[in-house]
Amino acid sequence: MGSPLRTIPWLIAACALARAATGPTFDSAVGPVLAKTCTPCHNASLASGAMDIAPFTQADSLKLNREGWDIILERLRAREMPPAGVPHPAALDAAIQYLTAEFDKADRSVKPDPGRVTARRLNRTEYTNTIRDLLAVEFRAEKSFPTDDLGDGFDNIADVLTISPVLMEKYLAAAQQIAARAVAADPLPKPLKIEFAAKDKKIRRVDLSTIEAEGRIDFDGEYTVRIGLPGERAPDAKPVTLGFWIDGRLLATKQVETKPSGLVYFSPYSEEEMRLFLPEGDHVFRAAFIGDDFVRGMAPADAYSSKKNKFLDSITLLGPFAPKDPPPSRAKIFLCDPSAGSACVDRILANLAHHAWRRPVTKAEVASLGRFVALAKANGQDTAHGIELALEAMLVSPDFLFRIEHDPNPADGAPHPVSDVELASRLSYFLWSSMPDDALMAVAEAGKLHDPAVLDAQVKRMMADPKSSALAGNFAGQWLELRSLNAIKPDPQKFPQWNSELRDAMKQETSLFFDYILRQNRPMGEFLDARYTFLNEPLAKYYGIAGVQGPEFRKVDLTTEERGGILSQASVLTVSSYPTRTSVVIRGKFILDNILGSPPPPPPPDVPQLDEASVGATASLRQQMEKHRADPMCATCHNKMDPLGFGLENYDAIGRWRTMDGRFPVDATGVLPNGKAFATPGEMRAAMRSQLPEFARCVTEKMMTYALGRGIAPNDRRTVDAITRRLAAQQYPFQTLIYEIVHSLPFQSRRGEPVSTLAAPRPKEIALR
Amino acid sequence: MITRKHLDRRTFLRGVGTAVSLPFLDAMVPAFAAPGAARPPLRMAFVYVPNGIDMRNWNPAYEGPLGELPRILKSLEPFKDDILLLGNLTHNTGRALLDGAGDHGRCCGSYLTGVHVKKSTSDIRNGVSMDQLVAREAGRATRFPSLELGLEDARQSGDCDSGYSCAYTNNLAWRSETQPLPPVLNPRDLFERLFGDGADLSPEARARNARYRRSVLDFVTEDTKKLESGLGATDRRKLDEYLSSIREVERQIEKAESDNQQIDPHMPKPYGVPADFAEHYRLMTNMMTIAFQADLTRVMTFLVTHEGTSRAYREIGISDGHHPLTHHRNNPDMMEKVAQINTYHVQQFAAWVEKLKAVKEGDGTLLDHSMIVYGAGLSDGNRHLHEDLPTVIAGKARGTIKTGRRVVYRRETPMCNLFLSMMDRMGARMEHFGDATGKLEGLDLA
Repeated sequence: MGSPLRTIPWLIAACALARAATGPTFDSAVGPVLAKTCTPCHNASLASGAMDIAPFTQADSLKLNREGWDIILERLRAREMPPAGVPHPAALDAAIQYLTAEFDKADRSVKPDPGRVTARRLNRTEYTNTIRDLLAVEFRAEKSFPTDDLGDGFDNIADVLTISPVLMEKYLAAAQQIAARAVAADPLPKPLKIEFAAKDKKIRRVDLSTIEAEGRIDFDGEYTVRIGLPGERAPDAKPVTLGFWIDGRLLATKQVETKPSGLVYFSPYSEEEMRLFLPEGDHVFRAAFIGDDFVRGMAPADAYSSKKNKFLDSITLLGPFAPKDPPPSRAKIFLCDPSAGSACVDRILANLAHHAWRRPVTKAEVASLGRFVALAKANGQDTAHGIELALEAMLVSPDFLFRIEHDPNPADGAPHPVSDVELASRLSYFLWSSMPDDALMAVAEAGKLHDPAVLDAQVKRMMADPKSSALAGNFAGQWLELRSLNAIKPDPQKFPQWNSELRDAMKQETSLFFDYILRQNRPMGEFLDARYTFLNEPLAKYYGIAGVQGPEFRKVDLTTEERGGILSQASVLTVSSYPTRTSVVIRGKFILDNILGSPPPPPPPDVPQLDEASVGATASLRQQMEKHRADPMCATCHNKMDPLGFGLENYDAIGRWRTMDGRFPVDATGVLPNGKAFATPGEMRAAMRSQLPEFARCVTEKMMTYALGRGIAPNDRRTVDAITRRLAAQQYPFQTLIYEIVHSLPFQSRRGEPVSTLAAPRPKEIALR
Repeated sequence: MITRKHLDRRTFLRGVGTAVSLPFLDAMVPAFAAPGAARPPLRMAFVYVPNGIDMRNWNPAYEGPLGELPRILKSLEPFKDDILLLGNLTHNTGRALLDGAGDHGRCCGSYLTGVHVKKSTSDIRNGVSMDQLVAREAGRATRFPSLELGLEDARQSGDCDSGYSCAYTNNLAWRSETQPLPPVLNPRDLFERLFGDGADLSPEARARNARYRRSVLDFVTEDTKKLESGLGATDRRKLDEYLSSIREVERQIEKAESDNQQIDPHMPKPYGVPADFAEHYRLMTNMMTIAFQADLTRVMTFLVTHEGTSRAYREIGISDGHHPLTHHRNNPDMMEKVAQINTYHVQQFAAWVEKLKAVKEGDGTLLDHSMIVYGAGLSDGNRHLHEDLPTVIAGKARGTIKTGRRVVYRRETPMCNLFLSMMDRMGARMEHFGDATGKLEGLDLA
């Protein structure tokens, strides 16, 4: 609890409190409100919401139990307390003002503390992106490394990113493989043919005009991709667009005739070929006719009859062939011809280490890497193999795998700015989930990055770069729990329309929506109630929105009350549901956790859960829930969660709009924690606007956690307060949040670790007693 | 398929020398099968299932010799003489002890460590798990000191349990108080780890590779030591983790070179993670059997799925998530589904026991030379109870455990007492572990 460092400022604060004798005092401004309004429920015997106010009735509780007070203040400010039905005394606002002023005063006298981030290992996404930017090699770490553990909801939290021997084996194997692919010193083997055909059950039919196969490519290289297309369509059938995807990414398209060729076949058949570069690794290959209207409504028996349809039947890969141009990785490595002599070899090694380690390297370090070239030669191999080996060592080095920052004196707790080079990495891993590029590195190494104008220019430039979509994938993907979509398996009996295409489209919608608000610097309130979203044809149909054709996503204006904002997006609605049905509790909790930043305490054990079997059969969900909430033990939290969840009951467990839930009409009336009532999702969104400050604070804390790689601690309160104040003053433009975080003390500074105060971050859930 | 077979640059952690044929489920284990060979060593494994068990269908109504087994354990009936059922073992450290909610996070974190884990979403603090204490001793003889395996991928967003980091529910084995050992989930990863990726190298290329790898490891070790000197305590701890993992890998390479054998498991290399639960379970336990049989390791932990998992068992017609079902508040329909999931899990386990029993070695079977604990960190998942934890030991532990019985201990007997006794048998003798009050009496008595 009270480390010496923390106690001293508190003593000063206490003195400050004592001196303030002329104005309102705790006993005049706060005491009476507590006694009259709070104590009747929050006393020792009733302890409503497991809360007894008694310890907070003395002035010294302001310093002794600050964290408890913060929670109380939060409830008061949000007007959650006193609850509806209890009169709201006029003196309450004065009490809030007094408390706010006292805490501000106390905070001002505390020395700013940037907190401490442990040396942070690259997570899987960062590793993948860094290899991409360093060497132009596509390596997918998420396919080979163990899943990174989460802390505070994110997978880039330094303290939980550990290294096990299994991961080390993977790092070594990956480094060896990546170095070999990048240097490409070995000749490609003779081309071979891999065939995935329907007759061998090697393909999966996703729909009538889409096939998929899984396979491994062992070498980077060009491949001839051949799609087998049996059958022919009616004489007036239009050409179709054949597409080929790898791991969900469309690589190439081609127009294909489908009408009879005029030649007489016993069994019509044609093939289409494309020559494509395919990267080493395990892949999902997909071939499809895009927007294929011809098969719509066709019975499968007809769709796979070569007399009635032209369909996809096989994918054949032939390769590898050497690409016409040398792989881009070689251009990144071979700045000069290593056979020219050791000066060039040194230049190559210095350049690689400089980039891989994201800092200037010394002559001694280059020399020590040079020993790998000597070793290769001693083993009868050429210089290129030596460079490959040196690269392998660089990629296993802690300088590559970790982001290590230095303190002038590691045992000194005084804050100091991180170096420009360290700041460059902080910035690029925040905005890009990847290494700094040359432009950023150049500014940093010139010692200019701490200049606010220079820093802003870099942030602006980096946000405009496509690489900043990493924020949508990694920050939003975890903030809004979109990554859980892959693990969610809605019951196929109840939801036969669920499939992976739909799932990916849902994820894409939210991702593009986030990206748009970020890039266009839209006000954060649009997360809650934007009148637009991003749809392609299948998702638009799913939402019942007409006029969207084709597989590409585009911005679509919303004209009805049914959709608007993240809480109406199928992705969020699905991750907050059970596989078989919606859950007002999970959805309510999702909103409290991720939108309002007011996570409810977890349920005590032995709480009755919802009687699943009777929902829809003997009672509506609402009736069931209300029964549940009649239990006072459940009521405190569920009174807050459930009414939020009910507001989303017009969306089923996979996010479809509905007006009936089984036999019962949907009743979407509910109430926000601040007392605002609503009757439809549209009204709920409008009401959510009134909680914009809470939402902004929630997103600020989440994004700071993500940017810093550590949990938010009490010493960050001042930073969060300042950021949210400035956001509010400007009507919450989203990019401002990024700039503010980048300029904040914890992002720009660090401190050493006094040996005596290994103060651990405190758990989020604080028991009030 | 285009493979790298004919290229000589891809091997790491591969054995040196000729392949040794090892027919699966046959009596031809090189080390221990032949009469007069060394006595087979003792092996230890843990199989952990989450969210508690429907105890009404787990505990028999009797003590002593095993008669008819309750419903969930039914599939172990053919191996009744090879199992010991233990009652009333408790993990007090899994309880709240003033830390509030989060029984799922706690009970898995503390299961093998006997430590009341630190409640934090990011500052993880646990203890060294008993399997790792054993691995430090028994693991010296084998290529892998221990293997950590599982079937379910870790959660990728959201929180795991009430202010507890996901690290506590994603891992059973802890190498240090801050270093969990994540389980290997993909059968192909396990295959390649145990048996190599099929690269067929000339002896010269192999030797050169070994020289290269050693020089890379030397380089990074040196590099790390230089780096460490200027860092604070927490950062140093991270780099120590890094270094200890490097050393472990070095040890594996040396071991692979010295035992000079490549094992041909006589099974096709698995492609990826099977969608079917039973198939995934079967593939993993097949390889686990071979790993024991070939003495690649003597210590394994198998985290079947995670505490709090919402996995739906459609394989047996259950569409609801496992964890939501366990909070059944005595609804018979939900309890029935929980019992079905528990039964299904034990069926997969029984199939593994059958395999272990089918492997003959020395004067008995692989099962005879093992002690495999099947258990959970909660008994009643509905109420999050940490007492009378469901615990079965399969295998006679080289004659040191008398099986075919049910033994019910005094209430609140620490689970750690069992662990002390098991560590003892594995040659990791300790005076204290977790909250143990002594060794567990009666494992070998009638």
